[in-house]
Amino acid sequence: MSRPILKLEGLSKAFGAVQVIDDVSFDVPQGTRMALIGPNGAGKTTIFNLMSGVYTPDEGRVIFDGEDITGLPSRKRIGRGLARSFQNIRLMPHLSVVENIMLGQQSRVSGPGAMIAPLGRRSRWRQEAEALLSEMNIDTYTGEVVATLPYGIRKKIEVVRALAAKPKMLMLDEPAAGLNPSETAALRDFLIQISETGTTILIVEHDMSLVRSLCDRAVVLNFGRLIYDGSTRDVQNDPQVLEAYLGSRHAEEAVHA
Amino acid sequence: MSGYLAGIIAILSINIIFAYGIFLAVASGQLNLGGVGFQAVGAYAAGLLSASLGLPVALTLLAGAVVAGLVGVALAFPILRTRGVYLVLATFAFAEVVAGIILNTDALGGAMGMSVPGYVEWQIPMIGAILVALLVFYLMATRFGLTLRAIHDDEDVSELMGVSIRNVKVAAFGLGAALAGLSGAFYAHNFGYIEAQSFNALVSIYVLLYVLLGGTQTAWGPLVGAAFFTLLPEVLREVLPALKDFFITLFGGVPDGSRPDESWRFVILGVLAVGFMAIRPEGLVTRTMVERLTFRRPSSRFKEVTE
Amino acid sequence: MLFLQQLVNSLMLGSVYVTVAVAFTLTIGILNFLNFTIPTLFMLAGMVGWALSYWGIPFGLSGPLPWPLALAMGIVAAIVVSLIVERFTFRYLKTKYGDSTEHAIPLVSSLGFLLIVENLVRIGYGTEARRFEGPDANMTMDVGGILIRIPQLVSLIITILIVIGLVQMMKRSRIGRGLRAIAENPDAANILGIDTKRIVPVVFMLTGMLCGLAGALFAVNYGEVAPMMGEDIGAKAIAGMVIGGLGSIWGAVLGGLCVGLLELMTVHFFGADTVQIVVWGALLIVLIAYPKGLLGHHSIGKGKL
Repeated sequence: MSRPILKLEGLSKAFGAVQVIDDVSFDVPQGTRMALIGPNGAGKTTIFNLMSGVYTPDEGRVIFDGEDITGLPSRKRIGRGLARSFQNIRLMPHLSVVENIMLGQQSRVSGPGAMIAPLGRRSRWRQEAEALLSEMNIDTYTGEVVATLPYGIRKKIEVVRALAAKPKMLMLDEPAAGLNPSETAALRDFLIQISETGTTILIVEHDMSLVRSLCDRAVVLNFGRLIYDGSTRDVQNDPQVLEAYLGSRHAEEAVHA
Repeated sequence: MSGYLAGIIAILSINIIFAYGIFLAVASGQLNLGGVGFQAVGAYAAGLLSASLGLPVALTLLAGAVVAGLVGVALAFPILRTRGVYLVLATFAFAEVVAGIILNTDALGGAMGMSVPGYVEWQIPMIGAILVALLVFYLMATRFGLTLRAIHDDEDVSELMGVSIRNVKVAAFGLGAALAGLSGAFYAHNFGYIEAQSFNALVSIYVLLYVLLGGTQTAWGPLVGAAFFTLLPEVLREVLPALKDFFITLFGGVPDGSRPDESWRFVILGVLAVGFMAIRPEGLVTRTMVERLTFRRPSSRFKEVTE
Repeated sequence: MLFLQQLVNSLMLGSVYVTVAVAFTLTIGILNFLNFTIPTLFMLAGMVGWALSYWGIPFGLSGPLPWPLALAMGIVAAIVVSLIVERFTFRYLKTKYGDSTEHAIPLVSSLGFLLIVENLVRIGYGTEARRFEGPDANMTMDVGGILIRIPQLVSLIITILIVIGLVQMMKRSRIGRGLRAIAENPDAANILGIDTKRIVPVVFMLTGMLCGLAGALFAVNYGEVAPMMGEDIGAKAIAGMVIGGLGSIWGAVLGGLCVGLLELMTVHFFGADTVQIVVWGALLIVLIAYPKGLLGHHSIGKGKL
């Protein structure tokens, strides 16, 4: 296994009396596609928020690319190469598709000069954003305001926006939620395509067939604790994982899928 | 050119510059309800420099903008830590403090007001308004404008995208304050006389309404909003008496030819504000509308895909 | 003794601000909404009360009404207008994108209503101040050398009773619990089965009632009403609310009294002209340096507008 790009060491977080994340440690090896799964409310999104700096952990460390980023402001993490998407689409509704992508480039922009340079047709930022969109086959909508676009397209644009930061690692929070089977299949090919350029992918996902066809490794959370860390092939045979899912909405999905 | 028309163009230009000042703050999601405070700072800075030092108008106009901008930046740092209701209250309070200070400072004429030498005619404010409009249109097409609109839409995600929220907000607020100050300096030189009473809280409310009803998504919004609401009273001046006579006749009375109360204009502005917020809260001019009008990007392609 | 007399005076002055400050804090605390119609409702109750006691019901339906009845109807007018405001600020509010302009909708609508109501009053009743013929405002009693004006004392007692009643209602009644749930988290309140559509108007009813009452008490105490009377009171009530802490009823009471004290001290030491600077300056400093206020919760009003 290659060296880990991301290491979580003994991460804990409580909201009031509720221990949402309890002593979670795992590694994400560089260049892999890995899944973070677990029943609803297990703390998956909280882990993402701890990694991207929305919350600070009560205990533990986040180490990215060999550096401790636990105390780094969230704004600076994307510049280090850690980009994410959101569970509910968080695109800027009044910006056009290409503008949303150009916003994704923000972490690579430095200095006031770049801030007041126009982003017109000849701007290298716009050209790069348009090139990225056509590379990802969603260049039909470039000038459209995001709010008017269909759900599946917006989901995809959000992933591309994260990519515009040229991240070393991409964290995706339920990218397939609400997509139909053919859209999900397209998304999987899309993610594989991204991963082949060397970007590490960590994905939170409920759709187990997508997880198995996309990822080799999975970590499973339940009630804020890590209960499984291993191959996706064996995950549904693990007794602890089965127990976590039994009785929950996803029990059948996990057993039969 | 008639004096009436010249007066309207001057006030229209001043209102457009003022509206752009508030627009920059509002476009980045900061509701500035203290605009008149910055306008007053600019007006009095220009007036004082002109009256006491006899500086040329070009310099006092610049000074009005710079002083108001500096005050804006100085205020922005502590104020911008607060959000939402706190920001509205703080800007509002700032304008009241400014009015209070003017009233109590003899050097500024106190409640008596002060006369400002260096009269400028309507052409100068008009050129100023055109330049300011061009500047804001340019800024909105840069990455600064992009981050401004991103913060307006979703501050938390903008931060995660690497936007320095504080710098962008302070820049927008400070530049906006400078433009408000510039509008005040133009006002001082065009009217030749300034007094604290003309910089009251209602003016802040009016200009914020111009901007919000005009639309905050594009730089067209404040232009359309300020123009519409500056010219509306002039149109109403003609229309309202006729309307009043019509209603009196309708109810079987005899028109007495008197002019209706001036306050009706503000009632209409209020009704428009409430109506817009209920039906079209994004304001008159939206992005989609501008794109349709300029034929920049046909939307038919997307419709084919979904249907 | 002079100091003590001034302290009593400031307490009386503050009680007028308290009622309006409580109205402000209630809407901010529960709905996160800075309602700019509040000073207007205060003015409306006073002006309508005056008009009814001076002219009677319009279209010659009655002669001049006795002042208590006229003021009661003034309060009703404030409540009715407040409910109309609710229809256009919260009833139609559906956040689609959650951007900052959308969060500003109720505030901007309330600014619109401020313009509508204030200018309609000017059109209907004129712009000048009017004498209100109520009970003799100068009846005084002497308590150990300190003069207390009886109508002011009665106003203070009414104010205190209202605030206690309000706090009890928020604590004990079903409506109060519902309102507190909305204040905590509007989305969760909906899930918990609280009918926000039916309970939000209660806030506006209370707002109208509090402002109307304050306007009526003002008319009785000062014997004068004017279309501009809301501006000054509104400013001081906002200052009181901020100093006390946004969203805290007792904070508004304390803050309102503080502003009364601050105002009298300023007049005493610096003269009446500087009150505007001192009151708004204090508000600005508290907002920047100590936004929590004396008794407030830091979370309120912090989110997007």
